[in-house]
Amino acid sequence: MSANLTPHTEKKERKRISFQAIQTASVFILLVVLCVISAIKIETFFTWNNLVYNLLTNAAYLGIIACGMTLVMIAGGFDLSVASTTAVCSVVVVLLLHSLPNLAAWITIPIALLGAVLAGTLLGSVNGVFVSYVGVNPFVVTLSTMLIFRGVALVITHGGQTIMVPLSLSNTFRQIYWGRVNLFGSDAYQLPVPILIFIAVFIVCFYLLRFTRFGHYVYAVGGNETASWLAGINTSLVKAATYAITGLTCAVAAAIYAGMSSTAQAASYSGLEMLVIASVIVGGTPLGGGRGSLLCTLNGLLLLSVIENMLAQFGVHEEYRNIVRGSIILIAVAVDVLVRKTGRRR
Amino acid sequence: MKANAETILHMKGIVKDFDGVRALDDVDFELREGEVHALIGENGAGKSTLMNVLAGRFADYQGHIIFFGENVRLTNPRKALGLGIAVIYQELSVLPNLTVAENIMLGHEPAGHFPGTLNRASLDAQAQAVLNGLCFDLPLHERVGKLSHARQCLVEIAHAIRKDVRVLVFDEPTASLGSEDVERLFEVIHDLKAKGIGAVYISHRLAELPHVADRVTVLRDGKVVGTREMRDCKVSDLSRMMLGRSLGEVFPKKRNVPGKRLVKVEGLTRSGVFHDISFELREGEILGIAGLVGSGRTEIVRAIFGANKAHGQCELEGKEILRRSPRRSRALGIGMIQEDRNRDGIIPGRSVSVNLGIGILERLSSPMGFLSARRMRKNASAMIERMRVVPPDPDKEIQLLSGGNQQKVMVGRWLALDPKVIIFDEPTHGIDVGTKAQVYGLIMDLACEGRGIILISSEFVELVNLADRILVIREGRLVRELQGPETDVDALFAECVGKGD
Repeated sequence: MSANLTPHTEKKERKRISFQAIQTASVFILLVVLCVISAIKIETFFTWNNLVYNLLTNAAYLGIIACGMTLVMIAGGFDLSVASTTAVCSVVVVLLLHSLPNLAAWITIPIALLGAVLAGTLLGSVNGVFVSYVGVNPFVVTLSTMLIFRGVALVITHGGQTIMVPLSLSNTFRQIYWGRVNLFGSDAYQLPVPILIFIAVFIVCFYLLRFTRFGHYVYAVGGNETASWLAGINTSLVKAATYAITGLTCAVAAAIYAGMSSTAQAASYSGLEMLVIASVIVGGTPLGGGRGSLLCTLNGLLLLSVIENMLAQFGVHEEYRNIVRGSIILIAVAVDVLVRKTGRRR
Repeated sequence: MKANAETILHMKGIVKDFDGVRALDDVDFELREGEVHALIGENGAGKSTLMNVLAGRFADYQGHIIFFGENVRLTNPRKALGLGIAVIYQELSVLPNLTVAENIMLGHEPAGHFPGTLNRASLDAQAQAVLNGLCFDLPLHERVGKLSHARQCLVEIAHAIRKDVRVLVFDEPTASLGSEDVERLFEVIHDLKAKGIGAVYISHRLAELPHVADRVTVLRDGKVVGTREMRDCKVSDLSRMMLGRSLGEVFPKKRNVPGKRLVKVEGLTRSGVFHDISFELREGEILGIAGLVGSGRTEIVRAIFGANKAHGQCELEGKEILRRSPRRSRALGIGMIQEDRNRDGIIPGRSVSVNLGIGILERLSSPMGFLSARRMRKNASAMIERMRVVPPDPDKEIQLLSGGNQQKVMVGRWLALDPKVIIFDEPTHGIDVGTKAQVYGLIMDLACEGRGIILISSEFVELVNLADRILVIREGRLVRELQGPETDVDALFAECVGKGD
């Protein structure tokens, strides 16, 4: 019986794959179309200055956090607390730079960065423990920690005072944002450090998801948590780890932010979580997880970044920008849902 | 049934495909006025699909449905309901937090004086009228969740025939009822018959059919094998019609004798679910567990597997293993094939190869956690060959496989671990007869390799023909232990519903 069915099912499969592909491809095509429109309408769009120093550098630190968020969301979770975690980490970096003043920069800065990474991982773990070991809904957990972490940042900066990187270290530290590496052996084309860091984080996470045991478990937990647990997977640890990793990526992004202005402020970065989550969702990783990939997220991130860039270049007012941002997320997800629905009906 | 009763429903040449798999192939089915027509067949034979066509759940079936002389096309549930076709599903669809009256009138609540308000008095009166018409004695204002399963079933019936029902479909109504409730249900069905309502009765329990059905139609692999007058046929005939061959051909012969003790369970208890369960499992033994749905049989084996908590003792080769997680069970060499493949088994969206390897990724990767694609592929192709998964493509996403092949992958996932004990919970649920025979052969092979097998099944014919011993669980208690080869399906059924005492 099964033998004569094989051709049917194969035909079906080709169709299914194309449904998956349609979604990813449609985001990519939209991205290309927007780039073309921008290139035609805006003379400065296709310049190294705009594309790399502006668009991609801005995308880089969002993207670093989006890498962690992708893991969380493929595992079926959600993290609203990334902006607050980033705030805490940036404050921790600058405070550590202050508290280790008499050492050489090459000792102080790595220690401060390490401290921030530890803080971020710790905060992420707090989310992870409550979500996976206590079993509270991730929305509730991260909504609460979003408030708590923000409060922590305010408390350790004595009510949200702006703290400055010590002058002696400032010149070195700011390289984490402002530093540039020559490309093609000349300084005509340079790559900013944030982009390099993003590429590194992206490659690590990509490898983690694609080629490691942990990565397979992340997909498995998002795809069917009960089945994964019954198959003997430590699902709690896997879920908790995705939150810890997201905390870590927040710390990396926080260091770059702090480097940009050489200051840290507890009240910054609000709204960041929405941009990050939007990148992941627009890219095609669904709420509920089990599907998606980092390439999808990269797709979504670039699309949103190009749109931001266009809005800025066209001089669109801030209030209209929010309408555009919201509409894009809604349309992207609605298209995904509709495509899937027609796919199921056949 | 009246002589020469008029045919009220005629389904002609019904064809329905799912993802290229033909679930119904040119099926004819006919129902007369005041008749109870039983519809039987193995799991996956197409019984439920046929009734779902009748309920208007599929818009894309082929064939004709003639209802009271009129050609109708049932493309949505509303249409079917409007014509007076109601289905009572095995999984009840009552809302536990609403009262009996609210459940009966659900969707047809009488409006109050102000727009959008509810006329409670009228609602209660109408619900009571429905109950009176059926001679059901149910408390109108009790929350349905507090009633017993059998009484919830009555609420569902009342809800279904609240309106002018002309055809009522019962989808395995007795699957989880005790013997008294079954008799009560039969009385209700007889009353409905007297009113001229035609009933379709889907069941696995061949033994109960002579008590309730007038005619019987047997389905196998989506085709009608035949329709018979109930009084003219014997249960054994029906069983052969369902399987398509005699049992001896489907079930493998036993080839080994159980060896030394592997598992010892003593006083296993989970309050309110099962109580004081004690048994042993030997190497190479197939231990059957029989019981109705809800008797606690699944919960017992889940406790042994570490997926549910329980008190008592459970030893594997002399070591206490109770209250471990599935992860620890896996490490100890206990595997479990879950009853609900979709909920507890497959990981959708992932390839067959990942689904096969997900339990042993430690062995398929370096100590640092990097997967070896080569080892992954090797494991997958070895298991695909051993389990004869069709199509033999390790990269296919698992949800695209047929139920039987998904089940083979689930078994393969555990076999890769070389477990000492394998628990099968309804291993042949929703798979075709050919694959079933393969699963039986596999279970027997595993036993012959010296593994201990625990087999739960609602299809008692499997237990009787495969198991060395059968434990009968009734309402959470171990009531009897039967020797597999010495018992038969009817005796086992009687034990499970409590008629044997």
